[in-house]
Amino acid sequence: MAILGPSGCGKTLTLKSIAGLMQPDQGRITLNEKILYDSRQGINLPAQERNIGFLFQNYALFPHLTVHDNIAFGIKRLTDYQRNKRVEELLGKMRLQSFGHRYPAELSGGQQQRVALARALAPKPEVLLLDEPFSALDTQVKSRLEAELLEIQSDFKGHILFVTHNLAEAYRISSKIAVYEAGGLLQWGDRHSIIERPANKKVARLTGMENIFDGIVIGVDDPRLKVRLGTDHLCLYPDNLDNLNVDEEVSIAIRPEYVKLADNGDENALEAELIDITEELIFNSYTFQTKQAVAIKASIPKDIGRRLVVGKCYSLCLPPENLIVIGI
Amino acid sequence: MTAMNLSPLWISLKTALVATAITFILGIIIARWMAKSEFKGKSILDGIFILPLVLPPTVVGFILLWILGRNGWLGAFFFEIGRPVVFSWSATVIAATVVSFPLMYQTARGAFEQIDSNIEDAARTLGASEWNIFWQVTTPMAWPGIAAGTILAFARSLGEFGATLMLAGNIPGRTQTIPVAIYFLVEGGRQKQALIWVLVILLISFVSIVALNYWKKYQRRFSSHPIGEVVSDP
Repeated sequence: MAILGPSGCGKTLTLKSIAGLMQPDQGRITLNEKILYDSRQGINLPAQERNIGFLFQNYALFPHLTVHDNIAFGIKRLTDYQRNKRVEELLGKMRLQSFGHRYPAELSGGQQQRVALARALAPKPEVLLLDEPFSALDTQVKSRLEAELLEIQSDFKGHILFVTHNLAEAYRISSKIAVYEAGGLLQWGDRHSIIERPANKKVARLTGMENIFDGIVIGVDDPRLKVRLGTDHLCLYPDNLDNLNVDEEVSIAIRPEYVKLADNGDENALEAELIDITEELIFNSYTFQTKQAVAIKASIPKDIGRRLVVGKCYSLCLPPENLIVIGI
Repeated sequence: MTAMNLSPLWISLKTALVATAITFILGIIIARWMAKSEFKGKSILDGIFILPLVLPPTVVGFILLWILGRNGWLGAFFFEIGRPVVFSWSATVIAATVVSFPLMYQTARGAFEQIDSNIEDAARTLGASEWNIFWQVTTPMAWPGIAAGTILAFARSLGEFGATLMLAGNIPGRTQTIPVAIYFLVEGGRQKQALIWVLVILLISFVSIVALNYWKKYQRRFSSHPIGEVVSDP
């Protein structure tokens, strides 16, 4: 599961509260029926007794201990033999066999992270908390570590809770996503539902839904909904039409990736002037504006977008199957 | 040349060693406490701990005399139980401890404050008790600072003169340390003997500082590589 949110929204605070490194003001935290914290009952289990693995954003390795001793730190209660066996096993899993005697400062960022992960996994925690684990790494190392994390996830018995501000990262790694903003939980659920059915405008914005329009319902004809946007009419097929009545306001949204240049006869075509182009790697980002000053963002492959000129009007298509209704 | 009275050397060494030991323990405890806690008047308390470093030693000696002298509030007590502090060997230790404490305190505190609290938190999530964290994580990480502070404190207590003279006086064989001996030898016109003591102090101090530098170099092995440097992935 991932916690997604902008920086400063309380993601790390949440992890630290779960790990027992910070005391929440009130509430209740339970783990597999074990109460970790309960303000009403006055329970606050110390971090040492929670059996929770924590991977810090900056790894927080012990600089004065070797890689081997770092990993062994949390399993001192084992016999020497068992401990060494466990460390060797983890070193192997993390492809660090020949690094056991090194100090953290002698490792690359990716290696340091693998050591930190091995150290957190060594005591076989019930939950593994990852605080922005990939933010300090370059793209290449990052994608390899992501793959490794997914591998670990498959044979790790406990839960993994992962904090990030990167939507794509959260989506790739987790099956469930919680969206946070300003210390509050906005939406929690299956990763598909977060992307496809954002609960409100905030979640929609945080998950990259850049086109959100306010329109008026002009027709409810199950399964079809007709919405007026200025002088344009759009139709869409929402999952459910409850609470949608003619003449009422409605917010509809579409991802820039779905907006395309219209062919003749396309449904939901509307005229808009191109006002800005931002060069990206493969899909350029185009900003259009309708006569009613509604901005529409579109991600269009460069080869198709090459002929577009700023200041000219084009016909855009917002495919009905990609338009969604958003709660307020 | 007549055989030299070596008592100043032994008194100096004994005083410096005992003062350093006291400073070491007090310094670590107080530095750690000050580094980790927040309270009103912390800056003022910090100022008091640092003060002996900037005051003239004679002022420190004066204040100590005022507290520990026969009429001082603590001194009266010791006088009462028949163990007056003034002009005793313990006076040399007290003077040396007071003037060397700020060096230990300041260096150790800086070292504690530099420790990333995430590292101690990591140890907590790995089940280490607070006591073990202090001894197995915090102290080893602060060790370069603690060691530097200890050596500086030792050198400072060895060289203490003003406060020692005021509180302990100049009693050969009892409170006469090397710096005090040098002063009175020069005053009595015995330059040659003074020179020998000067060379002894120079030697001890120099060796201490060189030892400190070597120690720092050795420590750099794991403390100063920037994160992420060296070595490529396998």
